[in-house]
Amino acid sequence: MKKLAQFFLSYRLRALLRKEFAQMRRDRRLIMSLCVFPTMQLLLFTLVLNATVSNLKLGIIDDSRTPESRGLTSTLTESKSFKLAGYYYSTEKLGDAISRGDVDAGVIIPFTYAKDLQRGHPVTVQLLLNAMNANTAAIAQGYAEGVIGTYNATLEQGGLHAKFLQIPVSDISRRGVARLSGAYLYNPGLVASWFVVTGIFGLLLVMNGAMVASTSMVKEREAGTIEQLLMSPAGTYEIIVAKIAPLFLVLFVMVAFAITLIKIAFDVPFQGSIFTLLSGSALCVLAGIGIGTVIATFTHSAFQAQLTSFFVNPLFTTASGAITPAEAIPNWLQPLVKINPIRHFSVIARSSMIKGSGLETLWPNFLVLSIFAFIMVSASVWRFRKQLS
Amino acid sequence: MRRILAQTRKELTQLVRDKMALALALVLPCTQLILMGSAISLTVADLPIAVQDLDDSPTSRTLIDAFRHSNTFRIVPFAVDRQPETAFTSNLARAALIIPARFGRDIARGVTSPVQMLIDASDSNTARLVSGYAAEVTAAWNADHGGGARVAPVQAAIRFWYNPGRSSKRFYGPGIFVLGLSLFPPLLASLASAKEGEQKTILQVYVSSISAHEFLLGKILTFVLVSFCECLLLLTLLFTYFGLNFAGDPTCFIVATIFYAFCVCSFGTLIGSAIPNQQVAMQMVMLGGFLLVFMLSGLIYPIQNVPIQIRWLSNFIWGRYYIDIVRDALLEGGGWPAQWWKVVIIAFTGSVFYTMSWRNMRRMQLKA
Repeated sequence: MKKLAQFFLSYRLRALLRKEFAQMRRDRRLIMSLCVFPTMQLLLFTLVLNATVSNLKLGIIDDSRTPESRGLTSTLTESKSFKLAGYYYSTEKLGDAISRGDVDAGVIIPFTYAKDLQRGHPVTVQLLLNAMNANTAAIAQGYAEGVIGTYNATLEQGGLHAKFLQIPVSDISRRGVARLSGAYLYNPGLVASWFVVTGIFGLLLVMNGAMVASTSMVKEREAGTIEQLLMSPAGTYEIIVAKIAPLFLVLFVMVAFAITLIKIAFDVPFQGSIFTLLSGSALCVLAGIGIGTVIATFTHSAFQAQLTSFFVNPLFTTASGAITPAEAIPNWLQPLVKINPIRHFSVIARSSMIKGSGLETLWPNFLVLSIFAFIMVSASVWRFRKQLS
Repeated sequence: MRRILAQTRKELTQLVRDKMALALALVLPCTQLILMGSAISLTVADLPIAVQDLDDSPTSRTLIDAFRHSNTFRIVPFAVDRQPETAFTSNLARAALIIPARFGRDIARGVTSPVQMLIDASDSNTARLVSGYAAEVTAAWNADHGGGARVAPVQAAIRFWYNPGRSSKRFYGPGIFVLGLSLFPPLLASLASAKEGEQKTILQVYVSSISAHEFLLGKILTFVLVSFCECLLLLTLLFTYFGLNFAGDPTCFIVATIFYAFCVCSFGTLIGSAIPNQQVAMQMVMLGGFLLVFMLSGLIYPIQNVPIQIRWLSNFIWGRYYIDIVRDALLEGGGWPAQWWKVVIIAFTGSVFYTMSWRNMRRMQLKA
């Protein structure tokens, strides 16, 4: 412990820190790009990435043309899920409209619709869904079934259903039904942005951390001053710690900005403790910086570092579950998900902010994040001396 | 014509010698397609749900089995005496099914028995899916085990067109294909042009007898060829790994691809010739090719969900039209009648980019 304190108070480290802070202070563009750019990205991404399925355009073929069939179409289009896009007179026309994208779903009401209902025969209505987008199709199916269920219930109340009750033999051995009543916890209004904004937050921390760290580490090399730094009595650890400290501070200002924005602009609830969130972001920033410093030790210029991050970034962003559910990622990619800092931070951010989880349940995520950050920083220290050869 | 080809040959030689550029052009798009195409999916299978069976009767166990046997859910062990919320705060489960005591008795007596489904809605889209799937599983169980045989007057026969298996891969694959084409060829084009400006070799071009048109066309032709190679590679992947095929007439797609390659390469050349700095040029292409195409073209989420204040921007995003064309060619098969105007827009955007870069270059002189 004493050794550690000595290390942090050593004259050499303080001098190096002063140098790095002075350099950072002069780089106005960097500070601006770290505070303004991510804020905009956070706003824009969250506004744009929204999976809510609503107002699906519905095309209708009504062969029945009766009050009953109009009742069904109005029940379908009154809901927020579907909106009426037009009536069609032949299935070919409707098919063309679906293929052109004018219509997302089509309903075909058969000629005998009203007659069958009055007689007490069940009627089948065909519902065509453009299932190109699997998610939209799955949710639209749920909506349609829900709406038709409600319509059936109103028929029942209107007395029409009495006829149907007579069809099955009403015997005494008839069994009851299970009625599923769902409840949405933590986000009863199903606000889509809460999920996306917390994921994008982690994404930005790691991506920006990596970018800034790699450019600032590589700068010394581009300018050719790295030899002087290595010639000085300072050890590799001291150089790296001094390099990381100011970056860490600036990025932490960004964290504060982002959290304020998440709270004000998107109204995400704050159930958990701010301490959990802040310590999670600190580790996440460190992990990002770690990725950046490792990239920097393999490259010779800022341009090359940026090109390399082209290869690294997609790996981390896609296997993160930041904007799509992590469970949907295929099995062969799951090992990457397990070590991904973005993944663990988004779990921490979501659980602590929206659900109010604390350290007692989130410690595995913290553990993985710290191990990841530690390995990355150590690897860059180990590579740092080698890079000159 | 001869000079254009000479210019193209020079660019290709340069490209083949640069290993990094080759990797960017051919390897990265393929890995990106496989990676993102299979990892991006909003529809979840195998969701962990916690079950609290307060009844513990044979009937309740059949209901749990119904959930267990569905593709969507995976039952995780959870003690009856714990609060179900703890399963959510510790991220153990995404939903909890709570079967009340007396469930089996109620069912046997012919009484409707409520079953509770608590859903962790911090991910709203998955929550919606879970509630839809759970309702379907319960309905199926009612039909089999409960008295669900009561005939509903109106039944919906739902048909899924174009993607009957509702596979996410088939939807996102073509999207990522477009993303790859909108990102890498213009990136290489802009780097090649910016490099000329950075290393001042552009002066040699100015003093040579080549005209601005020839120079630009030569450059663009190179990267159009690169895009074709990339396109072939990616299409092979789409046809094999993603199991797609042309749904209808492919000529519309082929023509659109030629124009789109021209469009994005002109965009890259425009950026590269306007900004003689590789790093800045790269950031600009990233912004134009990646950020805009990724966000404002309906690649992952529908454009209709974008707030109207930003949505109008998407009308100017060239990738948006091409995504429609590719999805149409591979899934819907609408062909020319449905898509012709989008091809026209892409060709128009391409010619605008080309004219702009030509205006930028035409004097063939260093800017004062």
